[in-house]
Amino acid sequence: MKKVFISGMGALTSLGCDVASTFNGLVENRSGIKRFAEWEQYNGLHSHVGAPVPAYDIMKVPRSARRTMSRMSEMATLATMQALGQADLRLENCDGERTLIIMGSTSGSPVTLELYFKQLFERGGPQGQMSTSFFKVMNHSVPANVASALGYHGALLSPSSACSTSSQALVLGWELLQSGFYDCVIAGGADELHYMTAAIFDIVLAASRRYNYEPERASRPFDRDRDGLVVSEGAGVVILETEERLRRRGGLALAEFRGGAYVCDGLHMSQSSGDAMRQTMGQAIRRAQLVPADIGYINAHATATLQGDIEEAQTIAKMFGEQTPVSSLKGNLGHSLAACGAVEVIASVLMMQNNVLLPTRNLDNPDAMCLGVNLIRENCSSAVQHVLSNNFAFGGMNTSLVISAVGSGQ
Amino acid sequence: MMEQEIVSKVNALMARGFELSEKDLVPTARLKEDLGLDSLDAVDMLVHLEESLGSRIEGERLMQVKTLSDVYGLVKEAAASKS
Repeated sequence: MKKVFISGMGALTSLGCDVASTFNGLVENRSGIKRFAEWEQYNGLHSHVGAPVPAYDIMKVPRSARRTMSRMSEMATLATMQALGQADLRLENCDGERTLIIMGSTSGSPVTLELYFKQLFERGGPQGQMSTSFFKVMNHSVPANVASALGYHGALLSPSSACSTSSQALVLGWELLQSGFYDCVIAGGADELHYMTAAIFDIVLAASRRYNYEPERASRPFDRDRDGLVVSEGAGVVILETEERLRRRGGLALAEFRGGAYVCDGLHMSQSSGDAMRQTMGQAIRRAQLVPADIGYINAHATATLQGDIEEAQTIAKMFGEQTPVSSLKGNLGHSLAACGAVEVIASVLMMQNNVLLPTRNLDNPDAMCLGVNLIRENCSSAVQHVLSNNFAFGGMNTSLVISAVGSGQ
Repeated sequence: MMEQEIVSKVNALMARGFELSEKDLVPTARLKEDLGLDSLDAVDMLVHLEESLGSRIEGERLMQVKTLSDVYGLVKEAAASKS
């Protein structure tokens, strides 16, 4: 196995437009969730809360690249610039034969899709459509726009698996680094907030609807009084490099990416499967050449849905017992779908660097069905060596990965 | 539409739509070489012009448009056919 390290991280989240402000917001246990009164107008939509990314400056990107970007591509581009800056890398200088961009989103831009079809139906055809619309809605819009904006010339992949997109991109990147064909991977994901996204979950009774007037209380993973997830937006980008390349160029390792796994359960499109979760977590830990007892903290997917949180908590209880600290960051950030996996990895790296474990916001009364695991409810000082991070998605997609502190030894 | 009105309207649209400086919007300015517009921008320019004029311009006409002066001519022609 090649050792793989994280050398750069970038993020835009509902708590801030960079990694530092996001992590500070988490440490202060703030909420990025707001009420969206304008969503009340949509017939059949019951969830009126969401977590938008604060205003950001995209004007540093030239118009020729910006014109084909929706919000998700803008945020992914800015997150990639942050990650490259931290790693002290320039994409245009990367060896295109040894570098790989892997990024995705749940779908093409929902904001643009709505405008596109609204106009299409109103005008009875494509008359008046902008030439740039398609480039915002095509499935690989996010990485293609990042590449275009940053002058990247090389290999590019765009996996899409909804809420596990960016964690799957990271695991795929790690696998391809192991293959020897590449030595640097820029991996991540992005999604933009839109009422249609809230509706997708609302329709299947998985979006919060009881806290529309108390938005900061709406997302409550593992809590007895949770009633569904809160959709969010953002981008998370992580740079993975082989040890050999990082050493050669004198780069700094932020954490080790030990390995991961992705498994489709093939059972149900929306209901999570404890067996598949166990298989995925187990495979990720084995690939990381560790055992469950080595894991010092679990960053749960836990989106605050009724069934998903129970399945995940009970599976963790069976595999890890009641000692390993567990939390979900979606109580603060909401669920940023394709971005959440990378964002949660970034937060976990910072937890290890700062010797602190962050709790689940709004976990006032743990659900009796989620007991048997160590659900942390306040910031805990702890020098953790190995973190397991989970993401589970519609379509039966399950992803788990392991990151470790630099010099963790094993 | 008067000549000056066309120039003002087109220039305002070009400045707003493509983030161009008014001082660069001279009749001899070449769309590609001087204003940095490409084929995607040309299509969007047509959409902006059609919306502004309220009349259709055939996309094929773009093939003959090289300078801002050509754009003024295109708009003048479309405005005349509309009236």
